[in-house]
Amino acid sequence: MASVTYRHVYKRFSPEITVINDLNIEIADGEFLVFVGPSGCGKSTSLRMLAGLEEITEGEILIGDRVVNNVAPKDRDIAMVFQSYALYPHMTVYDNMAFGLKLRRTPKQIIDERVRESAKSLDIAHLLDRRPRQLSGGQRQRVALGRAIVREPAVFLLDEPLSNLDAKLRVEARAFISRLHQRLGTTFIYVTHDQTEALTMGTRIAVLSAGYLQQIDSPSKLYSYPDNLFVAGFIGSPAMNFFNAKVVESEGKLIIDTTSFRIPAPPDREHLLRAYVGKDVILGVRPEDIHHPNYQPADIQSATIEAIVDVIELMGNEKIVYLSFDDSSQSSFLARMDPRSDVHLGGKTGAVINLGNVHLFDAATEVVIREDPAPSEDAKRAALAYKSGKPH
Amino acid sequence: MSATRFRVLPRNTQPHAASINWNQRFDKLFTIALFTIPGFSIFLTFLLIPITLTARYSLYEWKGFGDLTSENYAGLGNYQRLYEHDVFHQAVEHTFIIMGLSLLIQLPLALGLALLVGRGELPGRRFFRTLLFIPYVFSEVITALIWQYVYHPRNGLANYTFEKIIPGFESIPWLGEREYVLYAIFAVLTWKFFGFHMLLYMAGLQSIPKDLEEAARIDGAGEWNVLRFVTLPLMGSTIRLTVFLSILGSFQQFVIVNVMTNGGPFYASEVMGTYLYKFGIQRFNLGYGSAIAVVLFFTTLIFSILYQRFVMRAEQEIAR
Repeated sequence: MASVTYRHVYKRFSPEITVINDLNIEIADGEFLVFVGPSGCGKSTSLRMLAGLEEITEGEILIGDRVVNNVAPKDRDIAMVFQSYALYPHMTVYDNMAFGLKLRRTPKQIIDERVRESAKSLDIAHLLDRRPRQLSGGQRQRVALGRAIVREPAVFLLDEPLSNLDAKLRVEARAFISRLHQRLGTTFIYVTHDQTEALTMGTRIAVLSAGYLQQIDSPSKLYSYPDNLFVAGFIGSPAMNFFNAKVVESEGKLIIDTTSFRIPAPPDREHLLRAYVGKDVILGVRPEDIHHPNYQPADIQSATIEAIVDVIELMGNEKIVYLSFDDSSQSSFLARMDPRSDVHLGGKTGAVINLGNVHLFDAATEVVIREDPAPSEDAKRAALAYKSGKPH
Repeated sequence: MSATRFRVLPRNTQPHAASINWNQRFDKLFTIALFTIPGFSIFLTFLLIPITLTARYSLYEWKGFGDLTSENYAGLGNYQRLYEHDVFHQAVEHTFIIMGLSLLIQLPLALGLALLVGRGELPGRRFFRTLLFIPYVFSEVITALIWQYVYHPRNGLANYTFEKIIPGFESIPWLGEREYVLYAIFAVLTWKFFGFHMLLYMAGLQSIPKDLEEAARIDGAGEWNVLRFVTLPLMGSTIRLTVFLSILGSFQQFVIVNVMTNGGPFYASEVMGTYLYKFGIQRFNLGYGSAIAVVLFFTTLIFSILYQRFVMRAEQEIAR
């Protein structure tokens, strides 16, 4: 078991193409850290550098206290589960799992014990004599996990291990991997492009985009307190609604004016917003913070606006309502309303915005306007780099 | 969907079942014939008929002109002569030496070079890849002529180079010395054909997913173990194919030997192909030559069938 540290890590494929920009992360022993981001954000490269499959251009990566920049993958004491599972097609399941131990000259009896024990815990004990091609996707995935487990490595690396599974299996496998992490207590580092996987499995999540670490936080904090516009838009499904707005002062009160509607500034951030009077901001509202007037939670500070109903999707436990305005200056937005909400296609409806949960971003820097918790330096720098149009 | 779409006609509503059946069968046969006849006629004209004729000639003492008569009918005489001829024994032995050396030296060399230039980060590997493949593009006659200059006893490149490297080295008539000639020819065959095998190996390498080798590296394998436990086993089908082609090539070797040494000196580089040409065709013993050809044909045919059946097939069972 070991901690993992990225210290000012850069990865360049050529002088012009930088795919990882000054990555700094400290991962404690036993953590379940998830790298999440859109494709091409550098999350897999970060993992592959840690695995030793990709060279580190600049900076240091440590496993425990040891700098591993020049250590061969085989000597890093890590195990990895690949997206393709990468099972050896010419070996049986047993040999696939035993391969790493055989190479380490583990006594045969211990290999046998460990392989059988792991296979049992993964429910693949009856498949040990088969070859990978005779297995289903879900079984292959578990063999790949088994191959990693038997080695008892210091760090587990998982590179999109669930993306080749169908939706139902994926949910099962998610819970399975979480339980595995709890049982083993080893450091897990998990790469995914799926923010649901990240939120459900990680003890901490590192959001990457365009080679920059955008924010690293616990799932709940990341969801409730996104530090910049990218994180706010990436985490959460359906995604957060954004409105271009201006801060205006009227009779001593601060108003967020989107031209389509006006809402009072959230009182807890009023003092910060004073500096933005007359400036552009971006208002972010999560779909679940927009309610139908008849089904709004009690004791919230709210503002009611009026909008036209475009589409209604009844999900059973909720209605996802696509709303828009008469003028086309703002695009349509989503609300997750109570399933009993009385809305009609093409009709007008009131929409109650929970002011306490709205997010405001500086339109110039795309950093959140918030004091507690204050946005991280990572988020500010990443947003700035993103804005300045040189993500690479 | 309406229910009628799935209605099945009862059998007895087809009064002409038998005749329809006949028509269909004829149509089918006609189609089969239409597609088979062109291919089969080529097969017949250029393969089956010549082979049958050769087999027939092999039973006669025939000079290549005149009719086959009962007077020059020899029965298995040609085969017996062949069996007893020590030059033929030498030719067979040389063929097998070349075959063995090809498998032990030429193929591993091709594999090694494929691993080196077929992928990885060796600078200029594209250039080397092309360079190494060039010998295969030359015709065999040109190759043989070039190498005659290289092996020239007085001012050939081979002697010149050895003289420069090894002090006191005395020139060797590479193609004129019984001890050296076969190995000198083998060097040429290697130079000429390794590029072809290298190309096959490179194709085989490309079909191995990179993930597998990376997984092995993380599992604890060094580069040698990755090669031994993952890369080579997954190259199995390609390796079996090159072994097959290499063995067949050895049986069929003719042009280079014929141009460079004509089997000499004193039959020291005689192989089955040159033996056939020399004793069968040049000396107008077409009956005898046919017997050699028949032996050669059946050897390669039986080998091919056995190899396909037992070696190449085993691989299909292991394959992904």
